[in-house]
Amino acid sequence: MKHEYKETLLYVENLSVAYDGNVIIKDISLIEKDVVRDGVDYTGQVIAFVGRSGRGKSTFFKALTGLIPLHSGKILIRNFENKEPNAAKSVNEGDIGFVDQKYTLFRHKTVTQALKFSLRKTTLSNTEKDAKINEYLKEWGLENCADKYPNELSGGQRQRTAIIEQLFSSDQFIVLDEPFSGLDVGNIAEVKKSFELLSNTSDYNTVIFSTHDIELAIELAQIIYVIGHPTVNGKKENYGTIVAKYDLRDMGLSWKDYCDDHQKLSKEIIHQMMIS
Amino acid sequence: MIKILTPFEKISKLNKTLILIGWLVLLIVIWFATTAGEKHLFPSPAQVLTGFTDLYKEGLVVHIFNSLKLCFISIFLATIISLFFAYAWPIPLLKSISEFITKFRFLPFTGLSFYITMVIHEARTMQVWILVIFLTTFLTTSLIAVIKDIPEEEFDHAKMLKCTRWEVLWQVIILGRIDYVIDVIRQNLAITWMMLVTVESIVVASGGLGFLIKNSDKFMNTGRIIALQIIILLIGLGLDAGINYLRKALFRYSKI
Repeated sequence: MKHEYKETLLYVENLSVAYDGNVIIKDISLIEKDVVRDGVDYTGQVIAFVGRSGRGKSTFFKALTGLIPLHSGKILIRNFENKEPNAAKSVNEGDIGFVDQKYTLFRHKTVTQALKFSLRKTTLSNTEKDAKINEYLKEWGLENCADKYPNELSGGQRQRTAIIEQLFSSDQFIVLDEPFSGLDVGNIAEVKKSFELLSNTSDYNTVIFSTHDIELAIELAQIIYVIGHPTVNGKKENYGTIVAKYDLRDMGLSWKDYCDDHQKLSKEIIHQMMIS
Repeated sequence: MIKILTPFEKISKLNKTLILIGWLVLLIVIWFATTAGEKHLFPSPAQVLTGFTDLYKEGLVVHIFNSLKLCFISIFLATIISLFFAYAWPIPLLKSISEFITKFRFLPFTGLSFYITMVIHEARTMQVWILVIFLTTFLTTSLIAVIKDIPEEEFDHAKMLKCTRWEVLWQVIILGRIDYVIDVIRQNLAITWMMLVTVESIVVASGGLGFLIKNSDKFMNTGRIIALQIIILLIGLGLDAGINYLRKALFRYSKI
């Protein structure tokens, strides 16, 4: 299917993070653009990060979302409040939504209360907020959970609530740290559905996630980054960085059924992970 | 039969009740048997029953009411002060003060009560403040432990929803852990109850269970002492169960 690249949505340049002089990730650069497809209303961006444990994926996500300070580099995102083309702004805490592995929610708020809280900084009236919440609850299959507390929700329901909450509060960017870890087949299907819903709602929705399941990454993402320890001048370094990038759109592997080419790619990614 | 003697074996609810009844019956039988003769260290059931009757005639209900009143006033005041110190703990400037308060729990009771006597002259007020000071140190310690146990993800989650640092404190610590405050009170209730009886026996004011137990102790009235111990134990257990019920009834999301 024919696709073209439009505005830049996410720009990361030479990002490095260090704790007490100990470099965790270094020189991470990437550019993500809005993709438009012929004959498709909305195509959100789905980006996967894979890599072995301890390579700095979670640190990168925390830096990307503004939760930890950068040692060097910069992160810019599309400024949707400015109508100028390619208007950008630096990332601040809360601009990019973050859903952790445990799908953390406020334990003292019901689903409706939590969603209302995440909309508190918008200019919507109370009636508009209620309408928006009801619309999302219906669309995301959470109608029966409106008055439930997090401890009364299933894993899938918690995850969907956490995603909507971040979507309401952030600027159309959502980072999910290992959203599939520890889930059963049914819950994985629910998360996949959430990704689909996010992609089909807006061209600007950008989902960034990490996973250890390479096949799932290939199935869902349009671009896959491998984070690992690089080898520089024959010496393996101790910090994480992007060691390989696979753009499935340009490779003709996006938006199509799983085939032999996907399997070959899976082997290639695993190889990259093992050597880094 | 082998099942109830094997570690980690699961048994039915009926069997659990039967075991409990069995132990209670055994305890009562031992009590009757060991106190049946002329000489015995422990008072017989008849002596304890007489103790109960005497205590009731001497206004036991009023004494219980006085003890409970002192207990509730002290817990209320100590909780308010402890919450202030605990909520101030995340603020860098005030953190050391909060931590300093927790260290006071190692101070001996008698030394400090001496200074309180010099400042406060009314016996009842003195009882209240001795308890408040000591309870505050324990409650602050437990409340800070609750805050320390909050996973980092909960703070990150609030920050991701564009909460200011004060909103994070309000949403995650104050509102998010309000049910834990009740549980902390419940956990410290045993210390409160134990201290209350001691304070009532040291500083004599308007009676109370501590006053009664001291009087009985003075005259070696063992029947009364055991009767009082049973009353103190039962009230303590009742308060524990009541507070636990209150927490569950008030906070549906509370699953501690």
